[in-house]
Amino acid sequence: MQKTPTWQRVVRYALVIIVVGMFTFPTYWMVTMAFKPKVEWSTAHGTIYWVPKNPTLENFDTVLTEYRGQFFRANQSSALPSIRSSIIVSIGGTLFALLIGTLAAYGLSRFSVDTGDLPWYVALGRLALLILVLLPFMVLWAWLGIIRYWYGILTFTILGIAADQLIGRLLGRIYRGPTGSLAFSILQLRMFPPMAIVIPVMIMWSAFKLIDTWYGLVAVYGVVTFPFVVWLMKSFFDEIPRELDEAAIVDGASNWGAFLKVVLPLAKGGLASTALFVFILNWSDFLIALLLTTRDWPTIPVFLNSLVSSEIGAQHGPKAALGLLAVIPPVVFGILIQRYLVRGLTFGAIKR
Amino acid sequence: MANIHLENVTKHFGRVTALQSINLEIHHGEFFCVLGPPGAGKTTLLRLIVGLEKPDEGNIYIDGERVNEVHPRDRDIAMIFQNLALYPDKTVFDNIAFPLRERKMPPEQIRTKVTQVARTLHIEHLLERKPGKLSGGERQRVAIARALVRTPRAYLMDEPLANLDALLRLEMRIELKRLQEDLHETLVYVTSDQVEAMSMADRIAVIYKGVLQQCDTPDNVYNLPANRLVATIVGSPPMNFLACKVQRTNGQLNLVHSGFGFQVVGADHPLWDCLCRALPTVQEVLVGVRPEDIKLYPDQPTHLIAFPARVAVTEPLGAETIVDVQLGRDIIKVITPPTEYFSEKQDVWVAFDMAKVHVMDAQTGARIYTTGAPGQLQCMLPGVCT
Repeated sequence: MQKTPTWQRVVRYALVIIVVGMFTFPTYWMVTMAFKPKVEWSTAHGTIYWVPKNPTLENFDTVLTEYRGQFFRANQSSALPSIRSSIIVSIGGTLFALLIGTLAAYGLSRFSVDTGDLPWYVALGRLALLILVLLPFMVLWAWLGIIRYWYGILTFTILGIAADQLIGRLLGRIYRGPTGSLAFSILQLRMFPPMAIVIPVMIMWSAFKLIDTWYGLVAVYGVVTFPFVVWLMKSFFDEIPRELDEAAIVDGASNWGAFLKVVLPLAKGGLASTALFVFILNWSDFLIALLLTTRDWPTIPVFLNSLVSSEIGAQHGPKAALGLLAVIPPVVFGILIQRYLVRGLTFGAIKR
Repeated sequence: MANIHLENVTKHFGRVTALQSINLEIHHGEFFCVLGPPGAGKTTLLRLIVGLEKPDEGNIYIDGERVNEVHPRDRDIAMIFQNLALYPDKTVFDNIAFPLRERKMPPEQIRTKVTQVARTLHIEHLLERKPGKLSGGERQRVAIARALVRTPRAYLMDEPLANLDALLRLEMRIELKRLQEDLHETLVYVTSDQVEAMSMADRIAVIYKGVLQQCDTPDNVYNLPANRLVATIVGSPPMNFLACKVQRTNGQLNLVHSGFGFQVVGADHPLWDCLCRALPTVQEVLVGVRPEDIKLYPDQPTHLIAFPARVAVTEPLGAETIVDVQLGRDIIKVITPPTEYFSEKQDVWVAFDMAKVHVMDAQTGARIYTTGAPGQLQCMLPGVCT
């Protein structure tokens, strides 16, 4: 083996250090910022503070207690309700998505004839066709004046799914090859920009009186992360040999029994990592929570956004402090399930 | 305790026909082998019997009861899958106990039964291990134990020995046979290895491309193959086929090959009858001779008629040597004892065991006639007939 020239190694390590620095510096800045007193937040006082000179817990005090100071702050309340809200809503949304998503994934993995990988042009073509087909209907719905009401949105959604399935079937006639199955339709939910979906959802939720409730947010989080759960869990289920469930059924288990007693225990590693992934998505969501909460159930990201006012400017310190607190749950969760993330459970037990 | 009866069973997967009107009667206590090349539909047959697939047409009866709509768990049939399908996260004990727990058996009873079965299969020291930590043969035993423990009505095995190494396969083969003799239960055994089928089965069903070719005892499948496919699948190396033209010249019936010919002796010969009846349609026949029924002579033998040929390739296997011989336009395989040495390109003389010659329809492949004794067909040297 030839030795790499020194200058190459120097350049390589320099690049590594730069990239690592780019990724870790924001975290470092947040951690230090959380302990800086107000003077050190910015360079307004003439110097930049790379490390807190007079470390303080004042910022934590600010976010966690009711505001008593003299300056007007946009959000007067403490962050505790938002932390509670975030925990309830994220866990609830994750559980909801896992419950329906895992079952759907198992069904798609075992009982549907999937057509394999979809070429990108087919995927895009199908989406484009769908939008093309739906646009006139959207105009029609608007003209009828029902698009503002929940039943208008509901009928439009049903129409959309039906049209999508129809397009898939028709494509299958013309184009010999994979055109996407039900699983693809589910994935397609994620192809629209979230903003495009959230506003109709907001209108619908206000009609349903679900705005600013924890269950309203849980439902949206569940639905939004559902495609991820389906696709992740489907790949885990696909790796578990079908013969295992069949053996269980032949051995006397019901279809449910085979799923619960044989397949699910084998997929628990996948389930844990999917749960972590979905939890992080829900935990860090800002947009949906911003639009669907008002007073009682804003989550941490929404609360963070309110820590600013024209009078006192951005509250960098309290923001960083709350951000630091918000990092804790995903990290703890990640450490707890770490052993599942790395373990190959079926290794060696099945002859392939 | 089960008779399994398949009546006109057909199964399609999309446009592919996996099984085509299968009729089978598997008797109680029988070691029944299903033999066929990969993709023949053998596994589908097992899955239909156990209930993992539903037949598109036809009926399946177990002990006279129609089970088409019965859920697999209510059929009380054990199946050993090709990949064994041991539950990788459960210990050997839990694996074996699984069918009993599903049947809500009390725990003490489960413990005694599992230990008992483990003892018969010599795996009692493995009970606390996980399947991943076992060797191939041990996993095999665990899979068998899981089937045995619940004393089902019948056992189905899907190429259970296919993934074992050669020596272990030999050992397990004998063990399986002994086990079945002890149990005296119905056992349906799927394999693509004709040696396994021949050595273990009471009866063999040969399946090719979803069609049942022949269902008979190993003896009959070997000696009286129903058609060309069966003759190819059973026997190693497969039977040699020599394309012959059927010729009728002045009261004589000849089968003429590019390298030699046969004369059908006497008008009272059954083959004469068969061929004459089929003659307008049958213009060509295949004469099939097994490699073990052919002898090679370095010099022209005097006591019997032999045909000149030339050695193409030799494959010494130790106990025997397989010699490929160019005879006319065909290459035939011959099994010779290792004591006789033939070199490549050597001119030899080929003699057939005339008591074991099969005549088949060249078009359909169906067997027309098999000689049972020498003298019914007479060999002719090339050039005698044209």
